[in-house]
Amino acid sequence: MKRIAARIGERVVSLSNLDKDLYPSYGFTKADVLEYYRRISPCILPHLRDRALTLKRYPDGIGGDHFFEKRCPAHRPGWVETANIPQSGGEEMTVCLVNGLHTLMWVENLASLELHVPLARVSTPGIPDSMVFDLDPGEGADVIDCGHIALALRDILGDLGLECFVKTSGKKGLHVYVPLNREETTFDDTRRFSKTLAQVLERSYPQKVTSVMAKDARKGRVFINWSQNGPSNTTVCVYSLRARESPTVSLPLAWGEIERLTRQADPGEFQFIHSDALQRAERDGDLFSGLLELRQTLPGF
Amino acid sequence: MVSRALWKGQIHFGDFDVPVKLHTAVREQRIQFHLLHSRDHVRLRQHMLCAYEKVPVPREEQVRGFEVGEGRYIIVDDDELERLEPEGNRTIEIHDFVRGGQIDPLYFDRVYYLAPDVMLRGYRALAEALGETGMEGICTWTMRKRSYLGSLAAKGKAMRLITLRHADEVIDAGSLDLPVTGLSDRELEAGVNLVTALSAPFQPEKFKNDHQKKLRELIDRKAAGEKISILRPRQRRATPPDRLLETLEASLKKAV
Amino acid sequence: MALQSIWTGTITFSLVAIPVRLVKAVRPDRISFRMLHAKDYSPLIRAFYCPDEDRMVPPGEIVRGYEVGPEQYIEVTEDELDSVSPERSRTIEIMDFVDVSDVDPLYYDRPYYLAPGRGGEKAYGLLVQVMLRTNRGGIAKFVLGEREHLVLLRVSGAALSLVTLHYSDEVVPAAETVPEEKEEGGVEEEKDRMARTIRRMEARFDPARYRDDRRRKIMALLGRKEEVEAPVEAPTSFEDTQEGPGDLVAVLQESVRKLKGVR
Repeated sequence: MKRIAARIGERVVSLSNLDKDLYPSYGFTKADVLEYYRRISPCILPHLRDRALTLKRYPDGIGGDHFFEKRCPAHRPGWVETANIPQSGGEEMTVCLVNGLHTLMWVENLASLELHVPLARVSTPGIPDSMVFDLDPGEGADVIDCGHIALALRDILGDLGLECFVKTSGKKGLHVYVPLNREETTFDDTRRFSKTLAQVLERSYPQKVTSVMAKDARKGRVFINWSQNGPSNTTVCVYSLRARESPTVSLPLAWGEIERLTRQADPGEFQFIHSDALQRAERDGDLFSGLLELRQTLPGF
Repeated sequence: MVSRALWKGQIHFGDFDVPVKLHTAVREQRIQFHLLHSRDHVRLRQHMLCAYEKVPVPREEQVRGFEVGEGRYIIVDDDELERLEPEGNRTIEIHDFVRGGQIDPLYFDRVYYLAPDVMLRGYRALAEALGETGMEGICTWTMRKRSYLGSLAAKGKAMRLITLRHADEVIDAGSLDLPVTGLSDRELEAGVNLVTALSAPFQPEKFKNDHQKKLRELIDRKAAGEKISILRPRQRRATPPDRLLETLEASLKKAV
Repeated sequence: MALQSIWTGTITFSLVAIPVRLVKAVRPDRISFRMLHAKDYSPLIRAFYCPDEDRMVPPGEIVRGYEVGPEQYIEVTEDELDSVSPERSRTIEIMDFVDVSDVDPLYYDRPYYLAPGRGGEKAYGLLVQVMLRTNRGGIAKFVLGEREHLVLLRVSGAALSLVTLHYSDEVVPAAETVPEEKEEGGVEEEKDRMARTIRRMEARFDPARYRDDRRRKIMALLGRKEEVEAPVEAPTSFEDTQEGPGDLVAVLQESVRKLKGVR
């Protein structure tokens, strides 16, 4: 196996198999993946910080096997920050914290194309920093339908005085985030709120929306997955690559752009790849930075 | 006593067919423990329980899901899997021959003895041909609705079939991320001398499973109501890296 | 694929002691299915269930027992198991070094890797180098749980591997299955023809060439299914399906009414 040692700050990260093509039908090697994450790191690192990372590894690239890894691999360099989090069985699990570029590079060297994180930080496990609505189009629905629902969510939340942010999932759906950043708000609160909102929308628009996971209920509708608001749930991190044919990205968009793209009604326009993400990050900075800063209170809690 | 054949088929390569029977090469004899509930010593059974409600779920209410995303599954039923199972044609098809000793033993899974079936001639000829060429045949076959990869080799007049693990089942040693350590010529030489001094021929009969006997005794003593004194294992101190050479040389002095 | 330690201890030979961790070298089958409840796709867990108390038994309440009569067991604790040969439960003591090609694959049982523990990196590296140069492996015994394993330490790649061996009385002598030679005449000519074919078919061993057909078929099936059917989703916790609080519902409904409508 070919290895090179890369110096990042004071640390040396050992990188291997850099010319391995991880997106064979598109042509995107491990070196390209590392370069993407290196360049997007100013934007993505604040969103990964202090969160238990779930690795989704593709050692043989897209099309090969992949696996989720919640435990931090035991064969890690000493400088990888970790945390021990309790599990349901009473045992503890050691997880990786991507708190710096060196760890990000190490994780990507393991071909963890997708980075998934929970809504809470390891120091405050019961406290979500935000609430998420994962909009997932069922069979026969598409991202344009998700766009309509996302805009409806924005209006309803806005009516309640709540600002929210939106990103593409990098696959077929959209993710709407409501920043909270308040110690008083727990997962019980966000689950109750998000579920109620999903059910109210479902009742008002039964042909367009469902709040239940059952496969049949999702046909032709947008599934508002409120249940992602749990302490053990993870959602793909903003700016993460996705494991699709081409290296798409879960990319934040301005609401104006969602309005425009939804009007245009071309689902293909909702797909953004690595180069789009880098261009936009350079132009606009991190559109999701407000998610980490804005303190908001859910009504009634 | 001649063991019963597990399976019959024919080895095929080029225009040769050699009928064979498979026999087990290993019979394990091990003390079997059961798992008990500590309070009442009732033997525990494994069940599938709902992860949330912690209640047993009967067999007919279980489905098999393949995780395609966090908490998202594609459901696959038994029929669908059954339809993928290969039809066996009782042929051990040899694809390539490789020089003996090339296969990393990490690939070895189970060993079977092969016995001639129906007639001895072809069997003897193949065993001799493998012996003469020093080659092993890499082959695939289907047995009891499962496909196997294996290596066919001769040992004296007999042939054996070793089932091999597939490439993706063997973890690459690279994932251990072993550190590169600098060693001096003197250290290496002392190491080689010590290992040579401590070498002996491999005689498996020399090693008996006396532990099994001791375990049996322990159980008998407990059954008789005796109290067992607990002995704590001790951890040996690691040889410090800067004293490695010294330790090797002292060991060598002891060995010769 | 986290290489979790199965055991930690020390390799010794003569006066040398090398701290090591035992880790997996094989993973059986990477297509891992999860069993789910057909009703709501809740994940299922394999757990021990006490039929007498009708409840799940937590790991802390499970003990090992040896059956001495029907429904009669002698409990044996971990400490007692360790006490059977305490010197071997933390130490892999190499008794002999042997030529690795002398160890008949018939004896091989399960392979593992050994990784160096803290402070043992140099001595570990030395043992690997020396074994490579001498083509030797170490024969040792060590205790893991209730079993004492006869093991062969050898080099795989740049790592030390540990292969558990069968004891000689577990191996069936080959004579049991291959009949002694009967008068059947020479097989010279047939042997020569076979040897020619064998030489013609010579290749290098490349395990990646022989794909696991079953795996490939299952992966293809999963791919096809994922194309045509949306995955089901498991609930993430046990929750009732009750309504949200009444006032919240009212507030949200009011907001929804103000919408111009979802297209």
